[in-house]
Amino acid sequence: MATVRFENITFRYGSNTVLENFSLEVDSGKIVCLVGPSGCGKTTLVRALLGLIKPETGTITVGDRVLFDAKKRVNVPPEKRNIGIVFQDYAVWPHMTVLENVCYPLKKQRRPKDEIQKRAMHALEQVHMTEYARHLPNQLSGGQQQRVAIARALVVDSDVLVMDEPITNLDAKLREEMLLEIRMIQSRLNATILYITHDQQSALQLCDKMAIMEPDGSLCQYGTDEEIILRPANRFTFEFIGISNFLPLVRENGQLMLDCGEKIPYPDQVADEAKNGGYDLGVRPNDIVFDPQSPIRAKVDSRVFLGSEYNYFLSLGQKQVRVQQSMLDARTKGVANEGETVGIRLLNARFYPSQKGGAQA
Amino acid sequence: MADQIILNHVTKRFTTKTLGDIVAVDDFNLSVHEGECFSFLGPSGCGKSTTLRMIAGFEDLTEGEIELCGRLVSSSKKNLYIPPEERGLGMVFQAFAVWPHMNVFENVAFPLRIQKLNKTEINKRVAEALHHTSLTGLETVFPGDLSGGQQQRIALARAIVTNPKVMLLDEPLSNLDPKLRETMRFEIKALQRKFNFTIIFVTHDQSEAMAISDRMMVCDMGKIMQIDTPENLYNKPCNRFVHNFLGESTFINVEIRDGKAYPKGHAEQALDLDVPADAAAEMVVATRPNEIALTGPGEGGFATHIEKRIFLTDRTEYLVPVGNQLLKVQTPHRVTFSQGEACCVHLVDPMWYPADDEEAEKERARRQLV
Amino acid sequence: MRKTGGVSADLAAVDGRKRLNMDKTMTIICFILLVIIVVIPIVMIIYNAFFNEGKLEVEMFVEQVTDKKNLDAMWNTLQIAVLTTILGTIMGVFYAWLLGRSDIPAKGLMRALFNIPYMFPPFLGAMAWDMMFNGRSGYINKFLRELFHLSSMPININSIWGIVFVEVSYYFPFVFMQVVSALERMDPTLEESARIAGARQRQVIWKITLPLVKPAISAGALLILTTSLAHFGVPAILGYAKRIYTLPTRIYAVIYNSGGSFDGIRQGAALSVMLVVVVSAALILQNRILSAGSYDIIKGKSMRPTLIKLRGAKVPLFLLAILTLVLIVIVPLVMIILISFLKAYGLPLALENFTLDQYRTVFGMSGTMDSIRNSLFISITAGVVCMFLGTLVAYVVQKIRPKGKGVLEVISMLPYAIPGTVLSIGVILAWSGRIAGINLYNTIWIILVAYLARYLSFSMKTSSAALLQVHSSLEEASWVCGASHTESLADITLPLIRPAMVSGFFLIFLPAMREVTTSILLYGPHTRTLGVQIYTLRDAGMIPQAAALATVAIGIIIILNTIVTKLTKDRKGV
Repeated sequence: MATVRFENITFRYGSNTVLENFSLEVDSGKIVCLVGPSGCGKTTLVRALLGLIKPETGTITVGDRVLFDAKKRVNVPPEKRNIGIVFQDYAVWPHMTVLENVCYPLKKQRRPKDEIQKRAMHALEQVHMTEYARHLPNQLSGGQQQRVAIARALVVDSDVLVMDEPITNLDAKLREEMLLEIRMIQSRLNATILYITHDQQSALQLCDKMAIMEPDGSLCQYGTDEEIILRPANRFTFEFIGISNFLPLVRENGQLMLDCGEKIPYPDQVADEAKNGGYDLGVRPNDIVFDPQSPIRAKVDSRVFLGSEYNYFLSLGQKQVRVQQSMLDARTKGVANEGETVGIRLLNARFYPSQKGGAQA
Repeated sequence: MADQIILNHVTKRFTTKTLGDIVAVDDFNLSVHEGECFSFLGPSGCGKSTTLRMIAGFEDLTEGEIELCGRLVSSSKKNLYIPPEERGLGMVFQAFAVWPHMNVFENVAFPLRIQKLNKTEINKRVAEALHHTSLTGLETVFPGDLSGGQQQRIALARAIVTNPKVMLLDEPLSNLDPKLRETMRFEIKALQRKFNFTIIFVTHDQSEAMAISDRMMVCDMGKIMQIDTPENLYNKPCNRFVHNFLGESTFINVEIRDGKAYPKGHAEQALDLDVPADAAAEMVVATRPNEIALTGPGEGGFATHIEKRIFLTDRTEYLVPVGNQLLKVQTPHRVTFSQGEACCVHLVDPMWYPADDEEAEKERARRQLV
Repeated sequence: MRKTGGVSADLAAVDGRKRLNMDKTMTIICFILLVIIVVIPIVMIIYNAFFNEGKLEVEMFVEQVTDKKNLDAMWNTLQIAVLTTILGTIMGVFYAWLLGRSDIPAKGLMRALFNIPYMFPPFLGAMAWDMMFNGRSGYINKFLRELFHLSSMPININSIWGIVFVEVSYYFPFVFMQVVSALERMDPTLEESARIAGARQRQVIWKITLPLVKPAISAGALLILTTSLAHFGVPAILGYAKRIYTLPTRIYAVIYNSGGSFDGIRQGAALSVMLVVVVSAALILQNRILSAGSYDIIKGKSMRPTLIKLRGAKVPLFLLAILTLVLIVIVPLVMIILISFLKAYGLPLALENFTLDQYRTVFGMSGTMDSIRNSLFISITAGVVCMFLGTLVAYVVQKIRPKGKGVLEVISMLPYAIPGTVLSIGVILAWSGRIAGINLYNTIWIILVAYLARYLSFSMKTSSAALLQVHSSLEEASWVCGASHTESLADITLPLIRPAMVSGFFLIFLPAMREVTTSILLYGPHTRTLGVQIYTLRDAGMIPQAAALATVAIGIIIILNTIVTKLTKDRKGV
């Protein structure tokens, strides 16, 4: 398994620039999720890695091997790149048995028969599918088909495993299972996996590191899930990875105020750059807590019990703010009732420059 | 508040080829009040859908009686069965079931045309129904050209256009994506407030049921487990199954000695809990990962340490040893402990259950095969 | 991006030339073959209808079109087709509903039985009915006349209504099969929601169920209409005696009477243009009346539909269904077999008149074994060639998607709407020495060429549907695994659509085995097909001998069908 390096990749469809000078390094033996809204160019990047399209500029290397170099005119054809891929719909061939599916890449390499058999069975072992070797894909569950696709991708000792939205077609419960499955296989094989998705939730659950792409195709943040959740690089990341409230901050008469139609003094510390206003305060619904002493007063519009939490909508001036209260808080501190006015504190607040045309909550 | 839907000893038996006789619905007794939103919640095969279909009139019952709005509609004793079209209900199905050969207007007008109302009346009432489901302007569009959410709105409009007193909703949100589900939930509630009908809502999704219901019934294996408000059900489940079904649960096996609860495998330190008077020698303490408070050492509670810290997307999970078991605790990200750090756990009002429940698990596994 | 459609563009960027060349070659081959097989014959008909020796000459065309006999034939054709379509559709829908939605007993068996009329060659059915109810000599007619001391025959099958009756019996399965499968796949909550809305069972059927399966009804009805308009066998057998002509039989008569002269064929071409106009008009009209959308009626959790209890009507309806089957399958079959044992046609059906001689005579004739061999040869060859050619066209249209793919598709589907009789004339005009000196007239190849044109759309349709199911990622996955484009085609795509190709073959082979309409105009002294042989035997008055050969033919068809069902039953693939 090896490190994958994209350097200065540019790709255009006619006049439409999909990727411009895109660089990313995928560490060996890690699951890296490439996440971005649909149309941001992540699939283009994967197709470039596989050799299905040809970028205008840049280099792609896997380990020490240069797969593509625009300047040196290197372009290794897809079948020689040694990259395993698991497609969104698995693309397991329905007319071949599980074993035949897994043998196919080796056959195309014209390996001796007994080697093919041995390696294919080994690959099936790794994904715990040996007992299904003689089954046809339509006799398998979605999860098992995915395992076959993984075995087929792994059998040729691929340097990298690419997974392109492999779980989007499944229902929520199966999705969870599949993510666990991928995680387990990865830790067993110590494989390098590049996982492409538009679903930030599954990416956060799965990845060692996550690369977030903005809609324009640029890399917005690259780091561990913890880094990204605790320190989102910018407003796009903050909004993209979870539910968020935004409140504009202004400075008036020397005081920092929340501008919610009416101005509400903001009592807590803010980041240095935000001291003069012109910034938006971003806060997650579960980082807003009730505190009778707080000067920030809001009216409870609605309260819904959701099981593990209470979900509130509060009116803060003219703005609507969403709050999630954990059951622990609810039990120890009590719930707020509809129509009541409560004090709230905004914990873990983040500050981002205001966008033109005003911010939205 | 009058009872609008009454089920009296309702039982439904099926004969299947593989498993022989199955009691799909076993002696259901319940009454739903006027204007209430009442959910049937349970895993697949628990009898919730069969019950709904008996209320709708698509299935006859084996034993018992069903009364709708003060009128007996099904009775085994009196050999009475009123077909669905005469029960005056509204119903919305999981797969929308809007008719693809009719445009939006015709779909919604269909129940009124069946009643042979005059044109102006039909136009007026359809317009009103479309208005309340935000479909105005789409009258001449065919359902095939609309999104899933819009199709489900058509189904809703068609159901409210006759002004029924009772609305049956059979997993109406399951085919929608998560974001839309929440919006539709609000819209259904808004419609209920406006038209003042009684809702029966069938779902297997507990958070959806809790968000929408005034009261709900949890059933399992053809039996009613518990009927109560969502908060009471969540906070005071009557058994382990209900506890586990309504939200992520964590159970601690304890031994009771001298009126104190010792976690199994830990003889010295007892849990900081008042043991109920009627506790047996072995009990299960049930709580939920996000209802356990985690504090530094010396603040009371059960002293232990952090075995493992797992960073999840919207919370941090800690595995904390309690006796020979690992307790799962989930906190907001702002509560931070590091791996190996000493800490104390505080269980807030946990539930106490008897320690044996294996038979029920077996029966459940058998039913899943149906 | 770019997931769909991007594939071919992307690949062009990578190993562009290799693949492009192969695609181009395939596209060009497709066009050339389609021009030879389909376009040339059609052009030849139009040309010869209006031109003579290179000069525009419309007198002949006008003369033919205004001829009273031809106008009568056109009117008959329309009458028969419209009546057959209406009655066949009603019958098909009725039985489909009975089997799909009611609690009638023995459903599986009944479904299988209702498919039999589909296999039964209609012109043999017509022969049988003619034997029973011929206006002069029908056996049952004679029996009834004597029984009730009537002065004339009670029933005359040699009439428009007789033709319609026989066609309905063998064409209603077109609608039946489409509708029954639509009903079975339909989401039951669509009907349940109508009950909740207050509709009674009867209202649900009329307002919801039937409109929802309308696309299926419409597709089946269209098949009946086009088949009936172009059909030769039944009107030829039942209509000739009373000089009731339809356009296809009229075309045959014109050419036959002229002894195959060029003038006769030109007149035939003019009539063909008329027939094509009638078919097109009917198609357009039908489209207007039953403008069929296609809706998605199969989502939702699968739940068995609530079956409607027939209660008291159960037994009578069951008996009615059985009676229908007996009447349209068993009775004609028995009649043909009985007649085949008769010493001479017209003798009473009594044991002392029975003999096996007819079989000996038939097989003693040189033409008989030839005809069986010919039919087998042409049917298998046409099936195999169409299977590959149809798949090639389908691949070009679905996967390569060249610029003119719409044209390609239209050309390949064209013969579907063009009657077999018309195609035959086109083929005669094209391949009897007038183009590049190629003269296939009176050889078996001319029949083969006509069959290719006639049946190409069958295999192209099935292969197309299968190719649509082969998601492009299946091919991409093989490229990533190291397969070249050709290897991927051989290892992945072709094996995946093989079952569809095979069923495409049988879809052509079986009807080709019993074909008459096309071959009746093309056969030469040594190139009779099985259908032609039976037809000419009967035409020559050798009715028991014709019946004997018909019995053999039915035997062959039953055996082949059984083999096909066995073969196609356990196949894997998409």
